[in-house]
Amino acid sequence: MGIQKDRVRFNVGGRVFETTATTLANSGRNSLFGAMFNENWDLQPNITTTEHFIDRNPDCFSVLLDLLRTGELYIPSNIPEKLLYREALFYGLLDHVRTAKWGPFDGNRLHLARSITGRAPGDGTAIRAGPDGGCCVAHGSMVHVYDWMLEEHPPITLDYQRVNDAIWVDSESIVISACERLGRDDGGMGLFSSSTGELRYKFHVSHENLVKSYTGGALSFNSDYKLFSSCKGRSNEYGVGVWDQVTGKQIDFFYEPQGWSLGDADKLQWLNGTNCLLVATLFPRKDNCYISLLDFRDKSMAWSWSDIGAPIADERRVRDAIAMEETNSICVVNEYEDLGFMDLRSNNGIVRWSSRSRLMKGKMPDEPCYPKLALHGGQLFSSMNDSVSVFCGPDWVLTSRLRNSHGGSICDFSIGGDRLFALHSDENVFDIWETRPLSII
Amino acid sequence: MSGAKKRNFQIEAFKHRVVVDPKYAEKTWKILEDAIHEIYNHNASGLSFEELYRNAYNMVLHKFGEKLYSGLVSTMTSHLKKIAKSIEAAQGAMFLEELNRNWTEHNKALQMIRDILMYMDRTFIPSTHKTPVHELGLNLWRDNIIHSSKIQTRLQDTLLELVQCERTGDVINRGLTRNITKMLMDLGPSVYQENFEKPFLDVSADFYRVESQQFIEHCDCGDYLKKAEKRLNEEIERVSHYLDARSEAKITSVVEKEMIESHMHRLVHMENSGLVSMIMDEKFEDLGRMYNLLLRVPNGLTIIKEVMTSHIRETGKDLVTDPERLKDPVNFVQELLDKKDRLDKIINLAFNNDKNFQNALNSSFEYFINLNPRSPEFISLFVDDKLRNGLKKDKEEDIETVLDKVMMLFRYLQEKDVFEKYYKQHLAKRLLSGKTSSDDAERSLIVKLKTECGYQFTSKLEGMFTDMKTSQDTMHGFYDAMGAEIADCPTLSVQVLTTGSWPTQSSSTCNLPPEILGVCDKFKTYYLGTHTGRRLTWQTNMGTAVLGATFGNVQKELGVSTYQMCILMLFNHSDRLSYKEIEQATEIPPSDLKRCLQSLACVKGKNVLRKDPMSKDIAEDDAFYFNDKFTTKLYRVKIGTVVAQKESEPEKQETRQRVEEDRKPQIEAAIVRIMKSRRVLDHNNIVTEVTKQLQSRFLPNPVVIKKRIESLIEREFLERDKTDRKLYRYLA
Repeated sequence: MGIQKDRVRFNVGGRVFETTATTLANSGRNSLFGAMFNENWDLQPNITTTEHFIDRNPDCFSVLLDLLRTGELYIPSNIPEKLLYREALFYGLLDHVRTAKWGPFDGNRLHLARSITGRAPGDGTAIRAGPDGGCCVAHGSMVHVYDWMLEEHPPITLDYQRVNDAIWVDSESIVISACERLGRDDGGMGLFSSSTGELRYKFHVSHENLVKSYTGGALSFNSDYKLFSSCKGRSNEYGVGVWDQVTGKQIDFFYEPQGWSLGDADKLQWLNGTNCLLVATLFPRKDNCYISLLDFRDKSMAWSWSDIGAPIADERRVRDAIAMEETNSICVVNEYEDLGFMDLRSNNGIVRWSSRSRLMKGKMPDEPCYPKLALHGGQLFSSMNDSVSVFCGPDWVLTSRLRNSHGGSICDFSIGGDRLFALHSDENVFDIWETRPLSII
Repeated sequence: MSGAKKRNFQIEAFKHRVVVDPKYAEKTWKILEDAIHEIYNHNASGLSFEELYRNAYNMVLHKFGEKLYSGLVSTMTSHLKKIAKSIEAAQGAMFLEELNRNWTEHNKALQMIRDILMYMDRTFIPSTHKTPVHELGLNLWRDNIIHSSKIQTRLQDTLLELVQCERTGDVINRGLTRNITKMLMDLGPSVYQENFEKPFLDVSADFYRVESQQFIEHCDCGDYLKKAEKRLNEEIERVSHYLDARSEAKITSVVEKEMIESHMHRLVHMENSGLVSMIMDEKFEDLGRMYNLLLRVPNGLTIIKEVMTSHIRETGKDLVTDPERLKDPVNFVQELLDKKDRLDKIINLAFNNDKNFQNALNSSFEYFINLNPRSPEFISLFVDDKLRNGLKKDKEEDIETVLDKVMMLFRYLQEKDVFEKYYKQHLAKRLLSGKTSSDDAERSLIVKLKTECGYQFTSKLEGMFTDMKTSQDTMHGFYDAMGAEIADCPTLSVQVLTTGSWPTQSSSTCNLPPEILGVCDKFKTYYLGTHTGRRLTWQTNMGTAVLGATFGNVQKELGVSTYQMCILMLFNHSDRLSYKEIEQATEIPPSDLKRCLQSLACVKGKNVLRKDPMSKDIAEDDAFYFNDKFTTKLYRVKIGTVVAQKESEPEKQETRQRVEEDRKPQIEAAIVRIMKSRRVLDHNNIVTEVTKQLQSRFLPNPVVIKKRIESLIEREFLERDKTDRKLYRYLA
């Protein structure tokens, strides 16, 4: 072999490291090493005699060098994670660290990575996973934002109004919707920076060319840069508003038809295949559940379902709904975590219930939380009391159950950035579930 | 989203933290500023990357990001202003070279600066929503160089000049031009569009407007199209070499508009070289070029289509109304077929088999074929000719293609029932005289007609074939049954025709010679014996016979029609007969008799009778002799039978009359069908519906429909509404 031509010698904070230009090339062009050994800078890496001095922590350098060599992240117990993150940021290797920390999401291989105890009073409203592993938690009138390192950022408020929903439009921006207070032009919907918590834009609703104050409800957006929100206006302007994310202007409004509910909706979901918006009202004023698919192109309801006429005390009251486009169906769940399925191709209003957990009825906790549903990578997730169930396959077989020993019932959960976040109602705790990266050995 | 971010962001005053060394920031920035200068002056080799990176990192860490950023902006700006001066100073052709060189260097410097400031780019810039370093460098280049007053117009003019040079045939430095346009694209689509694309398109439009005007004055259509095509390809090639790919659609549309769209009317209609003469001369290549170029502009193809349609209609009209051509029906149809073939070939080779053009062709043919009321008859005659004789020359598959082509003409006919009438007549003659040369071809045509018009259309035709087959079997049966009893009699072959299936002929019987009559009666007895409840009538006008005759000592065989046989048999008993005597003895209708005698006595080489006087025409007081001097080389002589020919004027009238009569019940049936389902309908709607139902067979005349409605009212199938006279009611 002879002497390797591409050997590089570093002196980091007094400790000498030797590596190869090939290893350093793994760091990519957008890193300190990528820039350093670019031909623009006359630093030829094959000069083994010269060493490059870097005035940084040698312990962390060794961990990061190991990461570049193997692609695996191993943090010794004597190095705080935060320290390592800071050093990685210096070298421009933070993205490498993040991708090495946890693997691609798989509901059946999740492990509890951490539990974070928040400082907000009272019950949480919602938790939303960000696109790159961070999350935000809505609590009363505040939204707390955490990045993927679970560092807390300045919180977000919209005039300290009660927050109804929050949504990440990209890794830098969060939209939150809040209640309005009588007689004041506040509440509504705003776009915030996730890193600084600043309000960057406030979305307006106008009816007949007049700007109205309103209460923003459930949120959703699509890949066409449209933002949707259920809205309740002052004078019966109920419905679903549509905004353009680029211009920030309101571009459409779907008024609530007589005898139906849209403005109170608890869940919006955009369906790419049919170009429709799923609107589900499950805890309405009028004591009935309404699920509909709105087609904004011709202002019609492409599909609808309601439990009008069913007995009020029906144990099969729908508590959450999610559309599954692959199978052309809508999955619903009742308060005993029975799953039900409706066919999107017919309007016959039939729900096929799969009663798998009749047993649940007897042993409900004192303070139950209603189940929630999520769909990710062909796996269906449903939260119930203190655990999250994972269902797979064409018949939605129960394959895994995630449960943390403390924190009480789960009031909301969210999947994103290859992580699952579960928010507990009792003690203001949220859990982070991750898939371990595939091991080399 | 990014738009919203920028719009709503406001830079806040930065809150400084107290730093130990108050001059720390100044000192550090100085180091970095010097480094940026060195980078621009190509002295980077003396710099320590690690030190610079660390200094930039420390400035951001100690909250001097704002200072670092604004320092970068002002330093880079001042450098770019210097560069702008040096580019401005470049003389003539060096201008683009200088611009390109500086652009390359700026890019390199920008990359290095970004390397140093990488930490700021990653942390400070996103959180403050500032423009990232690379983008900032491009923006500053745009504002200070490209948009500098002394460079902007000069750059634009230089580029346009290069394009102009290339258009007039000079060779330019495409590589350099490419680099410059690439620079404009890198600076953003709007920069490219504002500084180059828009003026480029304007100048091009002017250029091609002038050039196309010159061309159109001096070139014929074919040459013009060649030049336009060449220009179009040049522009496409130019885009691929040194312009943005998205410019292709725009520049081609300019060329299309100036060179094609503005002159297309003139081109298509051009005297002696336009579309019509191209079609006449079958210039496939030119036609194809015209199609492809006009395809690119709105309404281009419509013009071609319209001109082509009117050309076909005109020439077609001339063809079908030319009295000379009407004399030869077979040739008439052949001409139509040839014309169709020629146009099909043009559409196929030059017009990309465009459906619209095919439709236009079809509708034109439909238009002019129906201009001549005798077209159905002629088409049937053409088929008759082909099925009688054609097969001998043509191979089997050729007959198929000919028949297919005929079917195509048939499709154009509006009066399909008239065709059916004639076809039936002609087929009957073919079948009875045994002249059809291929049963397969006959049947294949019937199948085609059936597919086209349904089984009703052909059921009678098929009935005729069935009759022929059954007759054969019957004859076998007859001879088997009679055996020896009729061995001495002349051989008889009878075809039993079902009334209704065959064209009705005035049943003009004649007196058969007693030799024949005997065997005929035997057959009649036999047939009625095997089939009860039938009536047999002899159709002597349609039969044929073979006679043995002795001229002098020479034995000959004569093939004749039944009428002719009757006449000749008379000469067994006497050598001279007058016209009157013959007429009396045979009772053949005068017109037929005259024709028969003519063919027996007046045709040269076949004159088995002699006539006195020896004139061409037959007169009532003529006398006929047996011609025992008749000689011929052939053993078997065929005396001309009356062949299916173009109808004479009264016959034509008669057929027409029959067709009209036949249509009446069909129209009535259609009216009743419609009224039965609709119960109440007004006059106009009935006419429309009836026309729709019947148009596959013929185009009913509204006046006739009205008459039929009146007749139905008389017969109490319908009644007029009491209040609204326009409405008819169905009476069940």
